[in-house]
Amino acid sequence: MSKNKMNIKTGIGFRKDFAEEFLTGSVLKPGFVELAPENWMKIGGYWKKKLNQLAKMYPITSHGLSLSVGSPETLDMEFLKNVKQFLKEYNIEIYSEHLSFSKCDNAHLYDLLPIPFREDAVKHVAERIKQVQDFLGRRIAIENVSYYTPVAAEMDEATFVSNVIEEADCNLLLDVNNVYVNSFNHNYDAKSFIEKLPLNRVAYIHMAGHTKVAPDLIIDTHGEAIIDPVYELFEWTLDKVKPVPVLLERDFNIPELAEMQFELNNLEAIMTRKWETENKSIVVSK
Amino acid sequence: MLLKTETYKQQSSIAQYCRDGKEVAILNAKPERLPHYRRLVFNVVKDALETTYPISHKYIDSEVWKEIVFNFFSEHKCKDPQVWRMPFEFYEFCKTKNYDEKYDLPFLNNLLYFEWVEVELYMMEDISLPQFLYSDNWLQKRIAVNPEHKIIKLEYPVHMEKPFDTVNKKGDYFLLLYREKETGRIQFTNLSILFTFLLENIVSAEKTLEEIFNDILYIFGINHLEMLQNESFKFLNDLKTRGFVLGVYKK
Repeated sequence: MSKNKMNIKTGIGFRKDFAEEFLTGSVLKPGFVELAPENWMKIGGYWKKKLNQLAKMYPITSHGLSLSVGSPETLDMEFLKNVKQFLKEYNIEIYSEHLSFSKCDNAHLYDLLPIPFREDAVKHVAERIKQVQDFLGRRIAIENVSYYTPVAAEMDEATFVSNVIEEADCNLLLDVNNVYVNSFNHNYDAKSFIEKLPLNRVAYIHMAGHTKVAPDLIIDTHGEAIIDPVYELFEWTLDKVKPVPVLLERDFNIPELAEMQFELNNLEAIMTRKWETENKSIVVSK
Repeated sequence: MLLKTETYKQQSSIAQYCRDGKEVAILNAKPERLPHYRRLVFNVVKDALETTYPISHKYIDSEVWKEIVFNFFSEHKCKDPQVWRMPFEFYEFCKTKNYDEKYDLPFLNNLLYFEWVEVELYMMEDISLPQFLYSDNWLQKRIAVNPEHKIIKLEYPVHMEKPFDTVNKKGDYFLLLYREKETGRIQFTNLSILFTFLLENIVSAEKTLEEIFNDILYIFGINHLEMLQNESFKFLNDLKTRGFVLGVYKK
């Protein structure tokens, strides 16, 4: 896939829920698709055929769930070997993971838990990301995750994220919705947070909707449309980062494909305005 | 390890809380928000199990099912990074814990196994077809079959009847499950013990059909070769029509 072409493209998270309609129809036409390697590697049969069909139609990026860079234990090298093979088989340029842990005491939890924002955790996680990058022979992108409570924090989130990214010498997957969610849940200013991140390392952006479950709590469900304040934060952010691919995540409560295309169009319009029409020089804070 | 023991302990505490829901003290955490993690994590596991085991979930009392799932996730350390494979660990856990006896669900292990095998076959990596020829002369040849299959034995006919209707029907039930190459759909067919023996020998691809027939005559004490051959050819031709029997091996 051409990097230049990818940079201004919007993508969609590929879900089995809408696979058939998506692959056979023409309503939803993203520039690329993203999938979780865990759900697609080492499989065959019907879904392998669909994956192969997908790969012929779209460039693929991958966003992992189970690598668990924040785990206390050693990396699962067998799993990583399978990921490497998968990335090679489908010629996938972008592989990203979450700055969180989903495995502890050798038990998988299949969801993302917050890593303590501590200096030793920075060193530990950065070392693990380096190991992953060495093994894969590529730089990976690490996503700032949404979280609902800090765990034994000794530094603020922006410092933690920045230090890990810098120390690991990896890319940043900037999830703008997660910044919004966290800023609401933990009562901080989203823009100030973004300004503290190593924005020169942003290689990929995620956008999504979320669900407010209490007056003071938003859960990052990927189950609703993107709301205006998140679009505004996205637009503001684009002034500060170089052009990169932008992905729309929609994992639950899947709407008509036309609605997702509408959201992609919105994102693309903002990207075009910010990165092409206005042709501004990008101010990078770090 | 660069991680300090105290940091590890905090991570371990929240992880354990997500698994068993037991109250836990976590430094600087907002206790009222911890249940959201427990709910999110548990729902992933619960949903994956309900998707893999729809019949078990439908027919087993909901409180019992809830308790089994709770016990599994709190006591068992899930090993597989691919969530779709995790339900196999659930089946093994239930077997080890003798839940069939504990909850008076004698069919439980069979039902979970049958449902798991369907998913496993549906998802398993593709296996290339063997090199085969179409031939009318099967007798002196080794028969080639679709390698994406499994022959299993059940004690309760959970593949044919509602689980609780099988309780008094304990016996030996053999079946062949296979994945259709074109559609990826899983098909299954009942097998007699004799045809199970026949198929297992065909699958091992070590003997010609004639050699297998001779073994059957000896082992099953059958005197009528012609009848055996006729019935077997009828059975194998049916499997050929359904795409399971492919032909004969080239070599």
